[in-house]
Amino acid sequence: MTESGLQPWWIVARSEEVTSREPLSVDIGAQPLVLWRDAEGIARALEDRCPHRRAPLSLGCIRDDGWIQCGYHGWSYDGATGRLKQIPNMKGEQRFPPVYKAQAFAIAESGGFVRVCLDPAAAAPAPEVSTMALSGTAHVAIEQAAWIAALYDDPALLIDIRGVRFTPYLMSELREEGGLLVMERSCQWAGLHWPAPFSADFPITVLTRSDPATGRTELPLRDDQFTTLLTAVIAPVPAARGVTAVRWRAEVGRGSGLHGRLLGLGTPFAVREAIDAAALRRSKPSASTHYDDLRARLATSSTPGATAELSRTPVAA
Amino acid sequence: MLDILSRPQDQIDLQHGAAPKPATSLNAVNNWVPHDIVMRDSWFPIAHSYGIGKTPVRRAIYSQPYFVWREGGKAVAAEFHPAEARMREKSIYTDAAGRYPVMEHYGVVWGWFGNPQAADPAHLPSLPFLPPQGGLPKYMTATQRFDCSAPISLENLIDLTHADFLHADVVGDERSDSETIETFYDSETITMVRTLVNKSVAPIMKFFSGIRQPTQNVRQVIRIYLRSHCAIAYGRFEPGDDVPLFHPCTPETRDRTRMEMVMNTSNAGLLFRHIMPMAGYKVSRQDSSMTSPQSPRYMRPTARKDLHSRFDAPGQRYRLLMQDLAARQAGGDFAYRDNVSEDCSDIIGLRKELFRF
Repeated sequence: MTESGLQPWWIVARSEEVTSREPLSVDIGAQPLVLWRDAEGIARALEDRCPHRRAPLSLGCIRDDGWIQCGYHGWSYDGATGRLKQIPNMKGEQRFPPVYKAQAFAIAESGGFVRVCLDPAAAAPAPEVSTMALSGTAHVAIEQAAWIAALYDDPALLIDIRGVRFTPYLMSELREEGGLLVMERSCQWAGLHWPAPFSADFPITVLTRSDPATGRTELPLRDDQFTTLLTAVIAPVPAARGVTAVRWRAEVGRGSGLHGRLLGLGTPFAVREAIDAAALRRSKPSASTHYDDLRARLATSSTPGATAELSRTPVAA
Repeated sequence: MLDILSRPQDQIDLQHGAAPKPATSLNAVNNWVPHDIVMRDSWFPIAHSYGIGKTPVRRAIYSQPYFVWREGGKAVAAEFHPAEARMREKSIYTDAAGRYPVMEHYGVVWGWFGNPQAADPAHLPSLPFLPPQGGLPKYMTATQRFDCSAPISLENLIDLTHADFLHADVVGDERSDSETIETFYDSETITMVRTLVNKSVAPIMKFFSGIRQPTQNVRQVIRIYLRSHCAIAYGRFEPGDDVPLFHPCTPETRDRTRMEMVMNTSNAGLLFRHIMPMAGYKVSRQDSSMTSPQSPRYMRPTARKDLHSRFDAPGQRYRLLMQDLAARQAGGDFAYRDNVSEDCSDIIGLRKELFRF
């Protein structure tokens, strides 16, 4: 929940994952959701729980008319309102009181991402500027807060950019900038070179700009002439059982030279599905300490867009 | 003025002798948070002179970007890269053109961090063992990095008993007939003098300087310029060589440190002259193995206080002086009460005959 009492918008799916062929089960914390596209191709989000006998709606199917049908007794719901539309065995008696409904959530789609807000009346979020062609989803067995902390302390544990080696050295520590948490890490190209602890200069840096409420992070890789070689958007969302669901999109920039051209081949960006737990345990809470401090400061400040209760994840009703 | 301290830290605040009672309490000294200290109005080493050419290179002081290059042969530093799309406002640390005060001395490019109007060459630390115009061979220099805060790195340096264990394979172990520690300080500097009699000989001198005796008398001096986080580490070994080291700890961020090292081994034998500066690569990684995990533990106040021995007196005083200076700066007082550019040859016991420029 944000400082103003608003629930944040979470990136719960990539556009490609939400179809009219089969429902998609996702979570925001302990709140299970079902996503699908209705007959008009509009993405819909309901609680993943049939109000009849609590069966997951995601085990059902999507009808030709765009309603979602529970796979247990066939109850069907409209995605826009969550209202019950049909009970097959009721034959001609298909008029139901308003309380016969599943909880519907606010949903928005832009930039190749589907976002959900647990407040059904939430105002639409600002749209993503563009859709990046490359994308992926990874489910990682680590709490979201710990995933974000690792992203700041040792990103190599979580992500891979082809040919890029992250160093422990920072161009700037984590700071607040325009409502985002911003940090820049020095990197080297993989291969033989002078070791990072003894290097006077580094050829590339990774900038991270994170939303303090959701951890959505924009990650441009730039060379020392400020040419953007690659941009990724990463969205770590708390899911059930302490899992973090990470959706990402990326696009290759205008890099020239051997390394820049190699980035243009295939998919140069990946979020790791598995974490080296021994390395994670050894990693030091360094930059992530700033992350915690800044979030705490934002929570008590009046900065527009600042967040309170940032680590709180929703609990299913 | 320079005060002398050669007693255990326990007694610092209990005595009312020549040393002025510090504003900072003993409790704060043993429970300090160096991570929170940001020093202003100071010259910081940002590059070796030879590292700067016509193409801008990027540096940082407390996360503040410095782009450094040469215009007409003169080093300049700007807040914005010429190719950078400006996404942020100009800071208070640069002039109207977005330029920082810069000076070049001792073969090092120095950037001023603070009020640009206050930049003055008189605030440049004295390093009397380095040629003012630079020009030492490149092999006597290096860039080293530490993923710890600059004060943690300097506190590591000022307690040289760590070297007997962490760097024993380079500089020898803890065995000696006697060991004394003295501390001298003013509001801008602290100097520690460690004198050892019959210390086990430094292996690097045994192997590369031809020292055959099993022991040597050693006088080691650490002098720290508090604001700029620059240190002098000067060792005099009998028998052996004089090894003065410029050991700056530039805070690129509050928890990452950059060292543009210069070790003047001009007076040593040919082999030792070349090998000793390279030992820094090993020694810095040994230091980093401890200071790197140590540093995050000083990012926040903790309930537990640090313990100390009599050998920590200089380190305790360093903490106290840093906190006093930081408190003064927090109150808006950035004036220099002591002159850091005054020749410190006598204070560090420099054998001037070896370092004439």
